[in-house]
Amino acid sequence: MLLKIEKKFKDFIINHAKKTMPNEACGIIHSINAVPTSIYEVTNIAHSPYRYEMDGIEQLNLEKKREKNGEDLFAIYHSHVATKAEPSPTDVRMAFFPPGNFKTDPMFDSIYYILISLEHTEADVRFFKIEKGPIVKEIDVLFN
Amino acid sequence: MTINVRMAAVIQKITNNQKEFVSEGSNIKDLIQNIEKEFPGFKNHILTDSNEVHQFLNIYVNDEDIRFLSNLETAIKDGDVISFLPALAGGSF
Repeated sequence: MLLKIEKKFKDFIINHAKKTMPNEACGIIHSINAVPTSIYEVTNIAHSPYRYEMDGIEQLNLEKKREKNGEDLFAIYHSHVATKAEPSPTDVRMAFFPPGNFKTDPMFDSIYYILISLEHTEADVRFFKIEKGPIVKEIDVLFN
Repeated sequence: MTINVRMAAVIQKITNNQKEFVSEGSNIKDLIQNIEKEFPGFKNHILTDSNEVHQFLNIYVNDEDIRFLSNLETAIKDGDVISFLPALAGGSF
């Protein structure tokens, strides 16, 4: 499977991650018919280089916006400032509710988890799916 | 007393896919007990065995996080909107 994404979304994520250094950045992408339509920075209330937690009220407001605009949740992204652009054990655990309850389906079974690493000079942006198990699958992406 | 309850999309399965509904209660603890009567199992998703709110579950009275009010004892009144949503969170390790 090859996912095609407009490059402006990748640029947005990289800019957000860089300006949030040294802390992790996080945000949400909306879509219509599986095509990304809008992207939003969300406040990381953990304000930490090692973890993120999205501001709940901002989350709620974005959910209302999706309902109003007929959009879907397409992806959530966050940065790793000094580790690889791969879901960490904590990321995988938190994809389930309650966290770590791998016997159930993940909270989101159809969205992409986008990881950006600022470990090296050139930012690395990669897409994943997290499924029951847990199973983590990387998705090939073409930015155009 | 009518309390408006809103469930975040990702946990609506614990309320039979109902996004919004009305319930009753004079505080958050009462409200959870009343929702439990309508949706058995609800409480176990919201509270731990020691009757505390799960660490990564957020409850808002209108736009106020109950952790900054009186937690489960937070008083609620007619017309309030109570939102339940799990935190989107993670980390590097």
